[in-house]
Amino acid sequence: MSDAQPVTFHARVDKALADTALHQALSTTMNRLAANRTNAFAALPDADALRDQARRIRAHTIANLDRYLEQFTAAAERRGCRIHWAESAADAAATVVGIAKTSGVSLAVKSKSMLSEEIELNHALEAAGIRVVETDLGEFVVQIAHDRPSHIIAPIIHRRREDVAALFRDLLGATDADVATIPAMTAFARKTLRHEFINAGMGVSGVNLAVAETGSLCLVTNEGNGRMTTTMPRVHVALLGLERLVPTAGDLAVVLQLLARSATGQAMPVYTNLLTGPRRRGDSPDSRGEPDGPDELHVVIVDNGRSKLLGTELAEILYCVRCGACLNVCPVYRHIGGHAYGGVYPGPVGSVVMPGLEGLHRWAELPQASSLCGACRDVCPVRIDLPRLLLKLRAQAVQGHMAPAWLHAGMKAYSAVATRPMAWKMMGNLVGRLGAGLATHGWLSRLPGPLGAWTESRDFPAPAAKSFTNSWRPKADRKRRS
Amino acid sequence: MSTARDRMLAAVRTGLMSAELPDASPERPADLPARAAQTVEAMVTRFTTDLTALTGEVHHAQAITDLADAIAGIAATYSASDYLSWHESALGWPGLIDILTSRGLRRVTYDLPFDQAGRDADVRALAEVGFGLTGSDAAISEGGGIVLVSGPGRGRLASLLPPVHVAIVRTSQLYPSLPDLLAARPDLVDRGSNVTIVAGPSRTADIEMTLTHGVHGPKRVHAILTA
Repeated sequence: MSDAQPVTFHARVDKALADTALHQALSTTMNRLAANRTNAFAALPDADALRDQARRIRAHTIANLDRYLEQFTAAAERRGCRIHWAESAADAAATVVGIAKTSGVSLAVKSKSMLSEEIELNHALEAAGIRVVETDLGEFVVQIAHDRPSHIIAPIIHRRREDVAALFRDLLGATDADVATIPAMTAFARKTLRHEFINAGMGVSGVNLAVAETGSLCLVTNEGNGRMTTTMPRVHVALLGLERLVPTAGDLAVVLQLLARSATGQAMPVYTNLLTGPRRRGDSPDSRGEPDGPDELHVVIVDNGRSKLLGTELAEILYCVRCGACLNVCPVYRHIGGHAYGGVYPGPVGSVVMPGLEGLHRWAELPQASSLCGACRDVCPVRIDLPRLLLKLRAQAVQGHMAPAWLHAGMKAYSAVATRPMAWKMMGNLVGRLGAGLATHGWLSRLPGPLGAWTESRDFPAPAAKSFTNSWRPKADRKRRS
Repeated sequence: MSTARDRMLAAVRTGLMSAELPDASPERPADLPARAAQTVEAMVTRFTTDLTALTGEVHHAQAITDLADAIAGIAATYSASDYLSWHESALGWPGLIDILTSRGLRRVTYDLPFDQAGRDADVRALAEVGFGLTGSDAAISEGGGIVLVSGPGRGRLASLLPPVHVAIVRTSQLYPSLPDLLAARPDLVDRGSNVTIVAGPSRTADIEMTLTHGVHGPKRVHAILTA
């Protein structure tokens, strides 16, 4: 499988749409995840009240983010964490490399973290001569294949079991028995990665949410690699997006009631892991400390465009807890998958986050890649109004002259016709007659000129043969006469 | 010279001046009202149903000898002869370790040294142990969660490294949900460096959405309920 992605958004979409295996995988996976979520919420008492509360908690936290960042860092430092502040992706990566070098680390293990993808951490570590191993099964496959994750929580839905088997055989020396079944491949990965966990000097993780009051980091996983990464190596480095806080542990509990249910339909993840400082030593030689856990816990707080995004009309996207539910229900994501979006964060959330973090000029097409159906808003555990944010970005694109030229010309022509009643009437009659002639069963499958771009991937409803005014007038005249 | 911390906090404050934040209140939202209390029987039933659905197994024991029988029985199923364990006082059953020893089960103790080489050697030795035995600090009936708080004599690795995890859970420690637990026991959060809630065996569905157990953590989880 070739991993090189075309440069333009439309070319990536064409590639994805032509990939029937991808379609099959997407449709199976997305249907399953979306149905699991629906069932989980149906079984949760007071689900609506919990979602309202989670939204209030996240909104309040973001509105007081400076205060909660100060409270979190003070509490975490009291518990022995070392706090690092990183303004940019490069700063964040350099900070982690610095920690690794100071500790003499030559091998680092990682649990899944979208933020580490965002700051391209693996690159930076490898450039500094530090080997880094992804330990989430999906991310491990992504890494050995030099691929990119295509879904926030299901990174390799675009790959079939045969792909994974071939990779394990060719790159890791797996035998035929090792890759005969999916459980066999999983056991093979366990054995391979267990070895890495034992030898790693540093573990790198993301953070789902941090608790300001107690300075705790919450990290949820199903595989247990999150626990291994934060327990086995002597040094643990946690990457925290600066918006991912909640005020109290009780607030965390509310959001956790929704997170796994939204992501996979689980009542709770297999492992909900709460970390408050590094391993605790005994107070005196007689009083024993904790027998295991990392001796050092570093928290790297990353901005990388978030504070700038906060100051805009898109700030609501910072409520997001990255469950991935909006991807699973999005009709666009379900057709094109994650790679076509081109950024680290795909789907509806990515179409707001990528332009928000890196600028609309780089990602002007993404807000257009939505039918604005609102399915994302309906499933969002914190009720983010994604269509509203996508519309804001579309308006910004027009105002910033980033919209395609034909849109501007088209709107100008439309306004010229629509503001002149005679021209409007004539155009209406003309389009009606032409449309009726070209349509089959009320749909146009090919439009002329630049309008053809629309009908390349979908049909257009045929205009009525008779305009509303023309249909109305004879009736109105008859009524007046009677 | 300003630090990165100062600059980032200043950037956040600047952002907040023009941020559009629907439904944000200046005060922390009031906690949701507590849900109606549930009977222990109802919670035991729910815990059992949910943990079993996750392929975990639930056992019952009253006296210490029942408990030792249950543990020895589980060990025999997997032909395991040694185990990582919490300290006896943390398990909450004085004398249990001696009874297990008399049944031929060897407890492996550890306290990781604070140097890299010693640490590596210890972890390597622990990786082959047959099963892990822990107590628990609470349990959550909805979703079948076992709550483990780290501390002296209460290692994290016992519930993580071995292929099988056996947890002793007192039914008096059951709560319906995580919000209920934290409302009743806020002290748990900060009592150790780690709180883990274990809901069944380690699992993944990364390859073709096929559910597979035991990818990094234990492949089997047994909860022994005691009154």
